Amino acid sequence: MSQPVLSVENAAVHFRSRGGFLRKAGPALKAVDGVTLSVQPGETLGLVGESGCGKSTLANAILGLVPLVGGTITVAGREVRSDDAESLRAIRSDAQMVFQDPALSLNPRLSVGAAIGEPLQVRGLAKGAALRDRVAALLKAVGLEADHASRFPHAFSGGQRQRIVIARALALQPRLVICDEPVSALDVSVRAQILNLLVDLQRDTGMSYLFVSHDLSVVRHIADRVAVMYLGRIVEIATMAVLFGKPRHPYTQALLLAAPEPDPVRQRAKTRRILEGELPSASNLPPGCAFNTRCPIATEICRKDAPLLVARKDGAMVACHHAED
Amino acid sequence: MTGAVLDIERLRLEIDGAAVVDGLSLSVRQGEIVALVGESGCGKSLSAFAVLRLLPDAVTLAGGRILLEGRDLASLDLAAMAAVRGRDASIIFQEPTASLDPLMPVGEQIAEALTAHGVVAPRVAMQRAREMLVSIGISDPDRRLTQYPFELSGGMCQRIMIAIALICGPRLLIADEPTTALDVTIQAQILHLIRELVTARSTAVLLITHDMGVVADMADRVVVMYAGRVAETASAEAIFKAPLHPYTALLLASIPHAALAPKSRLATIEGTVPRPSSHGVGCRFASRCPLVEDKCRKETPPLVNHGDGHEAACWRSHDVGMLGVPA
Repeated sequence: MSQPVLSVENAAVHFRSRGGFLRKAGPALKAVDGVTLSVQPGETLGLVGESGCGKSTLANAILGLVPLVGGTITVAGREVRSDDAESLRAIRSDAQMVFQDPALSLNPRLSVGAAIGEPLQVRGLAKGAALRDRVAALLKAVGLEADHASRFPHAFSGGQRQRIVIARALALQPRLVICDEPVSALDVSVRAQILNLLVDLQRDTGMSYLFVSHDLSVVRHIADRVAVMYLGRIVEIATMAVLFGKPRHPYTQALLLAAPEPDPVRQRAKTRRILEGELPSASNLPPGCAFNTRCPIATEICRKDAPLLVARKDGAMVACHHAED
Repeated sequence: MTGAVLDIERLRLEIDGAAVVDGLSLSVRQGEIVALVGESGCGKSLSAFAVLRLLPDAVTLAGGRILLEGRDLASLDLAAMAAVRGRDASIIFQEPTASLDPLMPVGEQIAEALTAHGVVAPRVAMQRAREMLVSIGISDPDRRLTQYPFELSGGMCQRIMIAIALICGPRLLIADEPTTALDVTIQAQILHLIRELVTARSTAVLLITHDMGVVADMADRVVVMYAGRVAETASAEAIFKAPLHPYTALLLASIPHAALAPKSRLATIEGTVPRPSSHGVGCRFASRCPLVEDKCRKETPPLVNHGDGHEAACWRSHDVGMLGVPA
């Protein structure tokens, strides 16, 4: 197998509320705890889970935006060290990020051309006419016009702004683009345009995506493999077809059942097994399997021992004491 | 029409003289869930706010009638309207944490809905608030009543909002994107709760949403809005199975779903929604419509009934099937 573009080994990110004069430091909030995954060249890995499950924290850790307390993250063979500015600079030419809200990811005072050209300029990769040509090519690649370069972000719609953000992420020809909820702030018809664009760009460049989303229908459409996170841990990783066709972890099953399908016949025929309760606090995790407080099939062992992520025959990895093979 | 709890007739809302909602008519019967759908800026939320006269200052109610069990809310003065809100018709919003008073325990907020309308004395009101929490399946109700919104999760806050909205037994519930801010497993809980409560009480529900999955799950009938006008209205089954307006058809085809091949091309709608100030004659979808012809730009298509209450405002309704969508 070729070298993975991204390799995460047993990564952990903990946050701790700082103590003060009269206040004791709180317990560590284990936002990401022992996560292992990899992304191959040209592959899209979907990362799904609900708010607070740690998916965005993991995405941030991959770019060195938050420090690890354990484990390693390697991008294109280079270890990510959040305390080493030089290595981060190198990593960011291989890995770039697209955030949820394009309005917040663009500097309102910077022209679109300047924003897209900036990564090239600061690295001294292009200037003058060559830079202008490169920016024009990037704008065209994302479905905009070359003369949009002189305009400012406010002149564009939400969907166009997300195209600008994508163009900027592509400027350094990264091997991995981390998309953190890239279409969640967009209307459905615009969402389809951006998804089509991401698929086309991957086909043309062979880059990989780590596609972070809470929206299962979007992930099913775009991902080759899917990882499901719950309270800082991966509970299941499988190919798209296996995960959606034969979900094994009870949390994955509950997620799939809870997501409403845009088809009244199918949606109303679904068995309604609604997951009870809410997410426990990540700073006060239950012992054993973190899902045991909401799990319909939890038994004694689930309240004692945390299950390991174990490979099954069809390649799926599942962390559950009771999941089928 | 008999049995209609809410009857909106030719509603017109304006901002600076430009119509942002233009001739909206819809009705919601007892026990019925009607979904009002469309993309940002189509006027769906403003229409809902207009029913309870909660419009922002910049928006004026420029015409039409809003009949709640035969009484025209559009003509009521503010005092009469205040008596309607919460008692005869209630609303729940998208952001539950932003809709609750952060400085008041949630029990008092629920009880206030009763005492404000003089339904019961304060002491009894708190008891009724407790019963309401029990009836919506909240465990440990006595502790919850004394908690403040910041101590509760988003899903719990939305349950409190629902309790406040329904405690006076209104005939109409307006739910404006009630689960958009919530996680999918919590969304399923809240939708399930709304469905159970309104079925048990025969409440009429106007559900505002942009999520066609929620529509498929909840709605009896669907009203699709585009740029301030009704594009299409039909039963939920009919609208998903055989849409008669190209906007509806493309909207549905742009959603990724299980039957599509992975990474296949999704339908898109080119261009952008026209601004209210630039509305001229003709169909407002004309500039983005793949089926557009000369007539569409010159004459506004009326809502035409195609049978079984399936209405569409399109000159080419019969050709929408040609778009080859949806599956």
